[in-house]
Amino acid sequence: MTEQVFPPESLTNEAIAERLSTTVRRSVNKGLIQKKKVVYLELNGCSGNIISLLNGQNPSFEYTLTSMVDLRYSNSLMAAEGEQAMEQLMSTIDDEFILAVEGAVALKNNGLYNVIGRYKGEPLTGLQAVKWFGEKASHILAVGACATHGGVSAAKPNPSESVGLKEVLPDKDIIMLPGCPVHPDWFLGTLAHLILYGEPDMDNLNRPLMFYSTLIHDRCPRRPFFDRGIFAEKLSDKTCLFKLGCRGPVTRTDCPTRQWNGHVNWPIGDDTPCIGCASFGFPDRMEPFISFDTTRTVKDE
Amino acid sequence: MNKKIVINPLTRISGFMEIDVTVEHHKVVDVKTKGNLFRGFEQMLVNRNPFDAVYFTQRICGICSAAHSMASSLALEDALNIELLEQGRYLRDIIHCCEFLQNHIRHFYQYTVPDFVKLDQVSLVESNHEDFRLPQTVNDRMSKHYFESLAISRSAHQMLAVLGGKAPHNHGVFIGGITTKATSEKIVSLDSLLQPIAQFIEEKMIPDVYEIAYYYPEYFRLGGGYGNLLTYGAFNDYKELGTLYVNPLVSTLDSVETFDETNIREKIDYSWYKAKENTYKPEELVAEPDMDKEKAYSWVKAPRYKDLPFEVGPLARLILSGRSDLGISAMDRTIARALEAKKIVEIMQTLLNEVIPNVETQKKYELPEAASGRGLVDTTRGALGHWLKINEKKISFYQIITPSTWDFSTRDEKGLRGVAEEALIGTPIQNPDAPAEIGRILRSFDPCMSCATHVYSPGNQVKTIKVF
Repeated sequence: MTEQVFPPESLTNEAIAERLSTTVRRSVNKGLIQKKKVVYLELNGCSGNIISLLNGQNPSFEYTLTSMVDLRYSNSLMAAEGEQAMEQLMSTIDDEFILAVEGAVALKNNGLYNVIGRYKGEPLTGLQAVKWFGEKASHILAVGACATHGGVSAAKPNPSESVGLKEVLPDKDIIMLPGCPVHPDWFLGTLAHLILYGEPDMDNLNRPLMFYSTLIHDRCPRRPFFDRGIFAEKLSDKTCLFKLGCRGPVTRTDCPTRQWNGHVNWPIGDDTPCIGCASFGFPDRMEPFISFDTTRTVKDE
Repeated sequence: MNKKIVINPLTRISGFMEIDVTVEHHKVVDVKTKGNLFRGFEQMLVNRNPFDAVYFTQRICGICSAAHSMASSLALEDALNIELLEQGRYLRDIIHCCEFLQNHIRHFYQYTVPDFVKLDQVSLVESNHEDFRLPQTVNDRMSKHYFESLAISRSAHQMLAVLGGKAPHNHGVFIGGITTKATSEKIVSLDSLLQPIAQFIEEKMIPDVYEIAYYYPEYFRLGGGYGNLLTYGAFNDYKELGTLYVNPLVSTLDSVETFDETNIREKIDYSWYKAKENTYKPEELVAEPDMDKEKAYSWVKAPRYKDLPFEVGPLARLILSGRSDLGISAMDRTIARALEAKKIVEIMQTLLNEVIPNVETQKKYELPEAASGRGLVDTTRGALGHWLKINEKKISFYQIITPSTWDFSTRDEKGLRGVAEEALIGTPIQNPDAPAEIGRILRSFDPCMSCATHVYSPGNQVKTIKVF
């Protein structure tokens, strides 16, 4: 493998995402590529990822919808309901389509803890839907923490026996986009890459390197405080939040440079620790999120 | 002739719902609303670090996550005996305002408008029912607003992130107020972002909702229900500003009284849960999931106030705050949401004017060995409550009653239906093979769950039919 050189902060990925989406639009307009069909399944979760995608800018969600993909199914957004919605979903299964899934797969009671619709009179569980569509999809995107590894839906004691997509589709290649929620650029940028060039370069856990390559800690603007041992004692302090429980040292995303919601802010910018929402252990292995007594001063050491 | 209609999934809501409706002589005679998703947050929260509840509970809901950070912060402040600085409260309420704006704009344009406006631009929003009455020019204008609104609701979330770090699932709301200091640059940024949102609400959203009402007037007579209204209070009782919106009140058709939280009970007679009692106080117990329970049909429990079901949400708040020009119907509910968006803009402007830059609201907090607290707050969809107990510095109990639990409750042991169920009773269904009415009425409540709709005909063979 050739050595990856990661760009300095001035060349962050907003620009890459924007270039990608512009190219997609041009190519679609010129008829060089077809709009790809996308099935977006919301399973056991909070539907927060689709809300996050609505927050996308460059590409925006409306642009994605009108210029990049033919979104066939989305429980949150589609006009059709009931059987009609189910038919719209099922009519896609024999086409070429990309499957995007947010939310975990609930296994309890054979999946009945999460029913996403009723097809031919029978409840359609998230579990069944993922198996059907996962088998047929050209590409699969696990969108957000619950889909990548169970996330909050699978938090101890995991009453719904929720798992990530990989557990249900062990033989499939799944592009992992962890985050709670996913950053809209991570999803829309990956989607644009898929349409234009196929799968992006990924790490050994199947996360696209263009978004998940670097530890937050390594690009944190508060890193100098860490290096000098100047630590915050409470939220709102402007120094390193490590001792309040910051998970930046174990979490790989580009949050420090990309930031959120039109690049205006991010958790550390809000004087709070990163809670590791894009780490595979989130939430159980990232807790406590906030604690005021992580370290003790030991005398005479 | 009896007919059962099943709608599953009821789309354009947050979460999953199924609805069973029995239609007799073209009228709805029975309804069951069924929540179709269970994760068990109340079980998950036990043994966690109490401070984590603020971020953890936000994951209940992607569209109204800040609401849960508000309720859990209030519950922790109650448990830890922390007095909130007024400046802290202003900032936190500003974040909450941003969520109201984001939610109401998205609910109206992305979830409600496709029921009434024919959107042909993308296949996703193609509808198959035919009851579209808007003249072409009006229809075209509103389809444009559907897409325009995406940029507006997005900037409402951007405002939220200015103080809250990110959205959904913000980091800013916390015990004591918010986690960061409001600098003058942030205050000005919010004021500047707010202006186009205010303009959009005034010039597009409110006229659009009245235009829809004009062409679909029968919805002023549909979807009424019990007429019982409840609010925990919203943007009320500021030390210097008084009440900017509405005080904690409950009303039935013949009385209005001050809300008293000791009258809340939760019932699980028809829900997939077991506990030693089927009726309990919120702070008493948390029921365990039990899908094998006979008679039960939903994951949604049934909260009651003085043993009665109550409607919560924007319409309840506006009427209880003294607006007398609104009735109780599906259309009034939808109009109320748009009118409330304008009200929230005004409140946010008032609060922004009161913010003093760089006030510190955070401290190093310590956990008690044992304590209990509750946080009740009205949020986008209505009354939200968190009740928690701490033991050995860990969460030992957590109870959550969400607004959609109030509105989409199951029936109770007395046979009283949930609010939304009752609202559908008697609804004339023009075409039982393609009932547009059910989805429109249910969406007027802005349901937040995983659910679907069915119509049953008892005794007859069940026929599942398409609902457009």
